[in-house]
Amino acid sequence: MSEAIQDTPQKEVLDILAKYLGEDVDADKLTLEANLEDLGIDSMDVVEIIFDLEETFDIDVPNPGDVEGGSIKFDSVQDLINIVKTLIENK
Amino acid sequence: MRIVITGMGAISSLGYDVESFINGVHAGEVAFRPIQQIPQVDQLRVQIAAEVPDYDETERFSKKELALYDRFTQFQLLSAREAIADAGLEFTGSLANQNLAERTSVIMGSGIGGQTTQEQNYKRLYDDKAKRLPPLTVPKLIPNAASSHVTMEFGIKGPSFTIASACASSAHSIAQACMMLRTGLIDVAVTGGSEACITFGTVKGWEALRVTSNSTCRPFSKDRTGMILGEGSGTIIIETLEHAQERGAKIYAEVLGFGMSSDAGNIVQPSSDGAARAMKAALKDAQLNPEDVQYINAHGTGTPQNDPSETAAIRDVFGSYADKLAVSSTKSMHGHALGAAAALETIAVVSALQRQSAPPTMNFTEADPKCDLDYVPNKARPMNIEIALNNSFAFGGLNAVIAFKRWQE
Repeated sequence: MSEAIQDTPQKEVLDILAKYLGEDVDADKLTLEANLEDLGIDSMDVVEIIFDLEETFDIDVPNPGDVEGGSIKFDSVQDLINIVKTLIENK
Repeated sequence: MRIVITGMGAISSLGYDVESFINGVHAGEVAFRPIQQIPQVDQLRVQIAAEVPDYDETERFSKKELALYDRFTQFQLLSAREAIADAGLEFTGSLANQNLAERTSVIMGSGIGGQTTQEQNYKRLYDDKAKRLPPLTVPKLIPNAASSHVTMEFGIKGPSFTIASACASSAHSIAQACMMLRTGLIDVAVTGGSEACITFGTVKGWEALRVTSNSTCRPFSKDRTGMILGEGSGTIIIETLEHAQERGAKIYAEVLGFGMSSDAGNIVQPSSDGAARAMKAALKDAQLNPEDVQYINAHGTGTPQNDPSETAAIRDVFGSYADKLAVSSTKSMHGHALGAAAALETIAVVSALQRQSAPPTMNFTEADPKCDLDYVPNKARPMNIEIALNNSFAFGGLNAVIAFKRWQE
């Protein structure tokens, strides 16, 4: 894992994501660029991951459909880290 | 044995009776508004719902009744009163009426039951540190309270109970009532369902699942963002054709058959296979070919998950004929009333058969390649409808589909 990845909130986000990796997915596939679906994470897992992120960082993550301009998406690991960073900064 | 519908009652976000419900769904009236009944609404991400408008329980029930009737029971009683009066049925007085009372069932659906009562009392206990709860708390919140109070108000004495299968509860209820008519156990069933769970805790729970929209419900549209929670109740009176004709009842439509299935898949993700099996079973039970159907009132929740799955199921069952079907979701107007949904949507189907017009799917803006049927976008469509299906697919993968026919002797 690179140094950047160990920064907060990346490390905590990745720790949370690691719990939801598909059974046949190796932990080293968990990179910032990785697509959640490719990690064996389905849409219901995403809902649970967002709940974990909200609880961990005391943030409220909006639904993509409720935010104009498509700025919120839950496709990749980086998407989740960006959302958490933005919401922490705006607290 | 032929089974017919001889009475209807409705209370929903579109109004307090069948007439306002039917006029609303054919006029394309989208009845979503800012939530009124939750004092903590500012703590919710989703702040709109399809509430029964300006509902004041004290205008409709006495203080003594309100100690017994949760909001979902109140709604059930209001729709049952309308339906029973509409059917011209009485269960007390003459010996004939008393005999009918024993051959009549009340079979109602509810996804949750007395949720308002549950939450009010939790708040009282945990938050306000109350030392005791009102003595009628338990009988008020039990899911069968609505069915029971209908039996008590009208003196109906046949086998009665409540069915819980989340969003398909009232579809399973209607199917169960048909089975009881077919076996000869009863002559008449008062059936449908009720739901009143626009409460702080329930809306928070739906928020967490991330399937509810905070803008509007756009079933099958590419930019759909989820469902809008609804509430209300629908009741229909069904009876054997023989019984209806003997008493000279007016007949709205015929219930041709039903099909039910379980996905045996995921508690929340729908399976197109399970939905397709339920539709196929309904066609088989009703002795129909796919080409006999003109209109489907879809489950059509407006969630990213349901709509493509339901579309695939319809394509599986109807093949190339699927392109000729009119498929619409009236949830785009009255919201998703969960355990009451199928009862209300049955009334929408009956109105489609009577008016010879398919109600629209409102708020439809853009076609989704994964949802490629004719969804009757934004405007009701006059058309010939002889046979229609009503689809209901519940969380938990429990599916029920009912087939209806335009009434003719």
